[in-house]
Formats: sequence, C-alpha cells, structure tokens
Amino acid sequence: MAGAQQLKLANLHDVELAAHAATGERHAFGELVRRHGSSVRGLLRRMGAEVAEADDVAQDAFLAAFERIAEFRGEGTFAAWVKRIAARQYLRRLQRERKLQGLAAEAAEVADVAQEGASVAGRIDLDEALKTLSIAERLCVSMCYGAGLSHGEAAEALNLPLGTVKSHVKRGLDKLRARLAPVEGAVLEGRQGNG
Amino acid sequence: MVEVDFERRLERLFADPPRFPDAEAFALRVERRLDRGWTIRRALIGAAGLTGGVIGASQLILSNFVHRMESASEGSAKIITAGWNQLAPNAGLLSGLPTGSVGMWVAAGLALLATGFVVTRLIEEI
Repeated sequence: MAGAQQLKLANLHDVELAAHAATGERHAFGELVRRHGSSVRGLLRRMGAEVAEADDVAQDAFLAAFERIAEFRGEGTFAAWVKRIAARQYLRRLQRERKLQGLAAEAAEVADVAQEGASVAGRIDLDEALKTLSIAERLCVSMCYGAGLSHGEAAEALNLPLGTVKSHVKRGLDKLRARLAPVEGAVLEGRQGNG
Repeated sequence: MVEVDFERRLERLFADPPRFPDAEAFALRVERRLDRGWTIRRALIGAAGLTGGVIGASQLILSNFVHRMESASEGSAKIITAGWNQLAPNAGLLSGLPTGSVGMWVAAGLALLATGFVVTRLIEEI
C-alpha cells in the first residue's frame, strides 16, 4: 500500500506535490524532500557549512518550506524556492553565531589562494574551487549563482551595501574563473559528496 | 560574452545536484520531524482547548451566573417538561432523561464540549 502510494507520488510534478502538501499530506512533501534534498544540502555545503551543519539547516529549511508551502505557487521551480529559504536560514544562523561580523571589511587578501593547487586537479571540482574564496565571496557567489538571489536580495539578506556584495561577487568570479579556466576542456562537475 | 558564458556555466555547475548516498535517510528524517511536529501541535491544541474549557467552566461556576442560571433553568425546565409531556406523553424511553435543572446543566456542558471540539477542528484546519 505504502509502495503504491510512493509510486503514485513519484509520478506527480513538483507543483502537484506541493498542492497535496498544502492540504497537509506529509508524504507528498516527503517526496519533494527526496527529489530536492541533495540540491539543498549541496548548496549549503557550497556556501561553507560543515556537513552536519548543512544537514541541520537543510532539515530546518524543509520544515519551514512545509509551513509556508501555500506560498509556493509554481512560478519558479520548487528547488529554487526551497534553496532560497535554506540560504536565508543559513545566513540567519551565521548571524546568530556572529560569524558574519567583519564581512563588509573583508578584502581580497586571500586572492592569491585562487591559484593554489590549480594544477593539481585533473578533474575540476567546483567545491574545491569554492574553498579558495573568502567567506564573503563564497557566500555572495553561492547565494547569487546557487540560490538564485539577485545582488540586491543577497545584499539585503547579508545586511551589506549593494556595492560591497557586487565587489565580493566579482572577486569571487575572478578567482573561480582563474581556477576553472586552465583546464577548459576537462569535465566540469561538482564533487559527488558522500553525506 | 565570455563573462556571460562563464556565469551560465557556473549556474549549471551549481544546479547540478551532488548525489548523496544517504539521501533517502535524510528524507526520512525530515518526514519524521514533520510527523513529530504534527503530533505535538495536535497535543498542544487539545491541551489548549481543554484548558480553555476548564477556565471557562470555572469562571461560569464561580460567577453569579450560577444563581441566575439556576432560577432560569428551573423555569425553563418546567416549561420544557410541560411541553414534552404534551408532545410525547408516552415516550417511555425518553422519560428517564433528567428534565430538571440538572438536565439543563448537562445540556450546557455537552454544548460546551461540542463547541470546544468545533474550535479545535477549526484551528487544525486553519
């Protein structure tokens, strides 16, 4: 019976599942978690969260998404919607732990790190490349290119001036380009994490 | 153009979800937390309804409302009894029901319970 229900849910589109979840069907929401859990966890790790921390925030984000599921109208993808929730939750956690202090002042002092180890990898790894960014750059790039926030939304979420966010994004992109460009023809893919 | 291409490539890299071997376990953990939250919520709503009912009942009992209701209910009971006798003089099964002021209180209590149930259901639906 449970298997049949699982199969039925697996055939539904995200928007249909969200509509079922909005009526309180928790199994429908569970299917959404099954589909997009890895994306959200991956994004949080790319933003700089530790493995356990990323999983905690991802769980909280999905619970928050369930509470607000009626707000999801299917204008964008469910994955993008829940990723934005997760990104904001992670920022709030960092703010609570006062880990965002000094973000505005963070300069490009780690710029040289971008070149470090660029020749080591035969296979280019986004996750490894992201580690060469400063915390601010990594957060800004991940929020804008991973969670789909605009520069303005990222600035608001980070409580930083728009110009500062744009600077962080630009510096981050420069570093990633420098890191990723040398082996242009190689397979580009994110690390296949192991939970 | 090169800049835009790179940004698109970056977006694709970010959109490519990593595969975690414990993806199913993660989903189950979230489902368990959802279930637990739902159970706690139901318990809290029930407890709130019960507390509200007890407070409401105690307030009614402790106020002058009791005396006023007693006199009113005695009058009402007489009228209802008279009406009942006229309508169903031979209703043997129903004749055992309390028709005095006790009956009025029982009816009021049942109405209060029903209201509490309805309010609880409404809150759950909301």
